[in-house]
Amino acid sequence: MTDFTRRDAFKITAGGLAVAGGLVAMPSIVRAANYPSRPINVIVPFATGGYNDRLSRAFMPYLEKEIGQPMVIVNKPGAGTQLGNSYALNQPADGYSILCTSAAPYIPLTVLLQNAPYKVEDFAMLNLPSRDYTLAATSAGSEIKTFAEVIEKLKADPGSLSIGVQPASADYANMILAFQAAEIDPTKLRIVTYDGGGPARNATAGAQVDVGFVGGEGFLPLKSKIRPLAIFAGEKVDWFPEAPLVSESGLKTDFVEGSQRGWAVTTKLRNEQPEIYKFLVGAVERASKNPKAIETLKLQELATTWYGPEASDKAYLDNAAKMAKYVDLLK
Amino acid sequence: MIDLSAFQDALGIMFSSVGSWGWIVPGLIVGLVFSAIPGISITMAMAIVLPMSLYMDFFSAIVFLTSVYTGAGFGGSVPAILMNIPGSPSSFATTFDGYAMSKKGEHNEALGYALFASTICGIGGYLLLLLVVEPLADIVLRIGPVEMFAVAIWGMLLLGSLGSTYISRGLLAAAFGILLGTVGMNTAGFTRGTMGIPVLLDGIAPIPAMIGLLAAGQLLSLAGRDYIIEAEGAREVSVRRILKGCWGTLKFPGVLLRGSIIGIVIGAVPGVGSSIGNLIAYAETKRTAKDSATFGKGNPKGVVAAESAVASAEGGSMATMLALGIPGGGATAILIAAFMMHNIVPGPSFIETQKPMVYAIILNNIVQAIVLLAVGIGFIYVASNIVRVRTRYVLPAILVIATLGTYAVTGETAGPITLFVFALLGYALARYQYPVAAVVVGILLGRMLETEFLRSYQLSGGNPLYILERPGALAIFAVMFASLAMTAWGKRKQNKAEAEEEAAMLRLQQEDAARGAHTTASKG
Repeated sequence: MTDFTRRDAFKITAGGLAVAGGLVAMPSIVRAANYPSRPINVIVPFATGGYNDRLSRAFMPYLEKEIGQPMVIVNKPGAGTQLGNSYALNQPADGYSILCTSAAPYIPLTVLLQNAPYKVEDFAMLNLPSRDYTLAATSAGSEIKTFAEVIEKLKADPGSLSIGVQPASADYANMILAFQAAEIDPTKLRIVTYDGGGPARNATAGAQVDVGFVGGEGFLPLKSKIRPLAIFAGEKVDWFPEAPLVSESGLKTDFVEGSQRGWAVTTKLRNEQPEIYKFLVGAVERASKNPKAIETLKLQELATTWYGPEASDKAYLDNAAKMAKYVDLLK
Repeated sequence: MIDLSAFQDALGIMFSSVGSWGWIVPGLIVGLVFSAIPGISITMAMAIVLPMSLYMDFFSAIVFLTSVYTGAGFGGSVPAILMNIPGSPSSFATTFDGYAMSKKGEHNEALGYALFASTICGIGGYLLLLLVVEPLADIVLRIGPVEMFAVAIWGMLLLGSLGSTYISRGLLAAAFGILLGTVGMNTAGFTRGTMGIPVLLDGIAPIPAMIGLLAAGQLLSLAGRDYIIEAEGAREVSVRRILKGCWGTLKFPGVLLRGSIIGIVIGAVPGVGSSIGNLIAYAETKRTAKDSATFGKGNPKGVVAAESAVASAEGGSMATMLALGIPGGGATAILIAAFMMHNIVPGPSFIETQKPMVYAIILNNIVQAIVLLAVGIGFIYVASNIVRVRTRYVLPAILVIATLGTYAVTGETAGPITLFVFALLGYALARYQYPVAAVVVGILLGRMLETEFLRSYQLSGGNPLYILERPGALAIFAVMFASLAMTAWGKRKQNKAEAEEEAAMLRLQQEDAARGAHTTASKG
């Protein structure tokens, strides 16, 4: 085993170089034919333990089976997903990196409010199974029973109730839109800002603030500590059926959909490697429709609904357009 | 109060899943090692092992992760004591007296004090948790911004006990630290001081900044020496002396109790975590101690106070998590994720339907604390040998490990860059005699001070009388001022007594002198 000469080493190196050179020179069509030949990175622009991280880890085994290659989760948290998004865009468009992210509202928000160096259209959705909506809620022991009551009280005196919300979020836009529709001057309200949905929910459940406007899904474990007043959705939400729609309060208001979470790639990949893109769409679709995946993820309160790339892209771009329309409310 | 039949079921779970117990020791070791590496916090250590726990069954996964949590709570104090570099922000206050003891050659004892305080208060925290897990959680939800602001102010009082040659430079350094702590996007969505760097939108990463600030000055001062401990005879590593330190902890029941209460309450409050509890516990213990002048010079009570708050914070944080499904800090956020990955959602309904499981988790944590005692002694025995290695080998190794630590977890160069920038800053501060520790306190508390003050302002609509509607906040301020007043009163009495003593001495001397003069005069 020890008769390994320098010449052998040279041969191996040269061979390696030749193979590498060949790979570089190989037309992309051939690469697509062999795809996937190595593990695929799943970029999650959030820390371990968040919704997207859990979604990616729970869904991964089913997706791996469809793709036929192992997957590696890469957490790239920071700056409201801007760091992870930039990282994803910097990867070669070869199909070996895909995103599991809260596409809306984070991608539009980083573009509109943080001047992120990319465009909303730089990302192409595969499927966005999880849809969250703004929920106006109060603590379980509160005297307030309906959203109409909130409007009435604030109309009489805008300072009578305190309101908890995360600034520069879809929830914030929905809150301002609702109060504008009710002709309440938002500048006179007592608005308390929280740097995340979690703290805003805790403040609502603990009656720190009278009313909280925050994504409804996160309230599910705390359901017994709050009373839902209005959910900003077009129709009844299946995971929170007891939450009344905002239209039921008699208020006519436009609203922005909350988080849309799921699987995405870069638009560059979709345009340059249509074969790989199609393969990924098919894999996500089959995994999403796998009854075992649906059952497992449901137990973890994770979504698997298959909307498909067209519907997901449309929902995402609509959200981005609405965000852009109301961007002045967010600042 | 405790539900006895559920408690019996919990014992059943404990003994029927003996296989899970095997994860305690590996978990503790992982926690100890990771958090002893400067640059890796408790949260990061748990984030690293979280994916591993996916492949275990539920109880094993929770045992493993909580063991990492328990081990990590103590691990950070090892470099804090031996090298004056805290492994994580929660062991910052441990450096004050721990390292001073090491310099005196009492590193064995210091580690013993830290370990035993950690163990006892870890157990104490969980025992209390067993009794009051539900009521505590409800109280925690009631704690609002005004109360939190009061706690942050209390933390700032620590500055008074840091001591520096110039008061003005100390205050300036603290103000600078607070300013650094507010870099990034604040809770109202305004961005300050990011210089267009996206990474800074989340603020300056406290861990690399803290290590940069503290390590730079420390490593430079060590570079001038051959060994960390100068006296050759003191460089021994002795289990006997470690145990002596352990035993000595029991002499300070008051300190342990105070530290635990502060730790549990602050640990239970969502979003605060143990890095502030240890500062407050240290400051309170120092201020109320009769021998407060010896704090910072190697008083074991300082070590005990800081460590007791860190260890008991774990119990507090777990209470919030189990009862409400809300993370008290980063570590419990990881634990919640682990629960969810095993199809269990912690929160009010979990505690109602699965009480035996909740008790079993708590009981297992008590077992972990006991096991930590044995594993911890072994760990500090090995780690203490660093005092026998020449600094010329230790220093480069520490620098490399700390840099890797800040890089490894996120894989971003932002960590090492922050470390480097703050190392330069730390050197400059030390060079011009500004207290580096005050800057660190500012960075750790700045964000909280600003956020809670802003929310209090928003909530009250700018009306200062709002505080009258918050009895909790009033109580915190009242206790704080009472404690301050008592200290001042005590100091005054002490000064008076000292002045009287001095005057008496002076009188005696004068009389002596007069008598002497008299006798010499009579002789002459």
